[in-house]
Amino acid sequence: MSSFDSPDNTAQIAARGFQPYVGERSGVPGAIRSVTWQAMRSTLGLGRPAKNKIFPVISVAIAYVPAIVFIGLAVLIPSGIVDGPTYPEYYGFVTSAIVLFAALVAPEVLVPDRRNGMLAMYLSTPLHRGTYLVAKMLAVVVTLGLVTLGPPILVLLGYTFDGSGPDGLGNWLIVLMRIILSGVAVSGALTAISMAASCLTDRRAFAAIGVVLVVLATPILAGALVDGAELSENWRLIDVFSMPFELVFRIFGDPGNFPAVSTAAVIGVNLAWTVGGFSVVAWRYSRLVIAR
Amino acid sequence: MAAIIETEGLVMQFPSTLALDRLDLHIPPGVTGLVGANGAGKTTLVSLTLGLLAPSSGTIKVLGLDPAVHGPELRAQIGYGPERNVLPDDLRAYDFVRHLAEVKGLPRDEARTRASDSLYLVGLGEERFRALGTMSTGQRQRVKLAQAIAAAPRFIVLDEPTDGLDPVQRDEMLNIIVQVNRDFGIDVMLSSHVLEEVERVCDHVVALDQGRLVAQGPMHELAGASGGVEIELVEISDRPAAIGNVVTQLETAGATVDRAGSVIIATGLPDDDLFDLVGDAVASAEARLRRLAPRRRSLDDIFTANADNVSAAEAGATR
Repeated sequence: MSSFDSPDNTAQIAARGFQPYVGERSGVPGAIRSVTWQAMRSTLGLGRPAKNKIFPVISVAIAYVPAIVFIGLAVLIPSGIVDGPTYPEYYGFVTSAIVLFAALVAPEVLVPDRRNGMLAMYLSTPLHRGTYLVAKMLAVVVTLGLVTLGPPILVLLGYTFDGSGPDGLGNWLIVLMRIILSGVAVSGALTAISMAASCLTDRRAFAAIGVVLVVLATPILAGALVDGAELSENWRLIDVFSMPFELVFRIFGDPGNFPAVSTAAVIGVNLAWTVGGFSVVAWRYSRLVIAR
Repeated sequence: MAAIIETEGLVMQFPSTLALDRLDLHIPPGVTGLVGANGAGKTTLVSLTLGLLAPSSGTIKVLGLDPAVHGPELRAQIGYGPERNVLPDDLRAYDFVRHLAEVKGLPRDEARTRASDSLYLVGLGEERFRALGTMSTGQRQRVKLAQAIAAAPRFIVLDEPTDGLDPVQRDEMLNIIVQVNRDFGIDVMLSSHVLEEVERVCDHVVALDQGRLVAQGPMHELAGASGGVEIELVEISDRPAAIGNVVTQLETAGATVDRAGSVIIATGLPDDDLFDLVGDAVASAEARLRRLAPRRRSLDDIFTANADNVSAAEAGATR
């Protein structure tokens, strides 16, 4: 008797094809995680045609090239002949790449959903407006972290392996924490500003141009007020381009480029930009009429 | 029977438009057609069902829950196929369906499996890795249906699912919708302005006109047999008076006759008597019968009559 004929045979052919699902559902946290991940993939051009990968790859490469060059120099040239930049100084080499990346990411994350109706699709899932925005904000912050956190951490690792990094594990961890805090602060401020611009227009290009204009115009205005009109140094605080990076100097205990401006004021203005930007986004989305 | 959707005095007032006017609905399980012309309030009702809008007044319960209070929990159990073209062109069908299944709470592996299964179910198994932007209108409508069912909902809402489809594609889509309900026990609310397709696939119907409820109930009650017979005769060139003779004989026997060309509708007598009368009249007039059937009231008839009644009642009330 073959095994197929055995009366004890309990094997079954599992039904294939569409079946009911009776397992656990991940609820709102799972929905946020999924939307965040999908938005990050989309922004970086992953799973999309090659043309969508070009700009993200170039921006990320520009942010990392100086780090790689400095590490190379540190390894190849004896210590003391060429000094690499400090961690806050490093941002000076990649500021433009970070700002341009911020101008690209938030519009890509927010605008298409409103234009093509995906927002209504997302709101027909466990997400509501608030949780949807949290998912999108996380996507922008984490994606920006690629250029605000990654390169300084790479520099730290390079210096460490070269023997010119922080002394001792404690100091090393302190530097790492400062790098993370700096990256999150810069990402947060730029995320808020770029998301605010992106929620005011349904055109990605306009949003991106708006971010760039705000970021480029405010240093000129601040310079004119302080250097031209000889107003108080505190007018530097309106400089959206410089203040997130000035905060990085202060996090590392460095007086930075504007020592006449107090650290409290620098922290305050960055908080104000961040909270203000997110408030604009929340206000705008609370007023959107979404049907279908 | 527990209702899928139940509303009481539901009103949706937009700044310049009264979109829904005191709706009292009871939508039972099965396939329900939501019919009405553009601007009837169908999409507003769909949006309220999903909790995308909050009602101005009145109550709405979906699967026994208030969308405004239990939104996330409720929406995890509802699939939604929108009317608008909401498919990102550069995403693959499989990625789109899988992503929305994950957002609805399915674990990643389950979402992957079910994305493929649902795309096979709607007939796109071989096409599932194609970019959405390269798909035809019919294929994109199927993708929307696939994403609505992929997360194994209890109930799906489909907004104009046959929009833009040719007759063959429309038949296929309607067959899939019936299969989704019959084979998988997923209740369906189908919004459409094509009455014929609603009559074909729906167990129940809700008809709206300018935000007001025109009719609701089981399809067989609203659009079933209505009394009378429908006769279609063949026009014969050497007996041009044959059809007229049939009409005359029916009228003489006491039937009320409405003729349009070679099609005759006879009412006013019991159906059995009418069938006998038609047989006798056709034989004596030497006419040739093409079709003889009980007269059925179409959804179109009901819709038109009730809409007229509502308008007349309102006109009376304002005088």
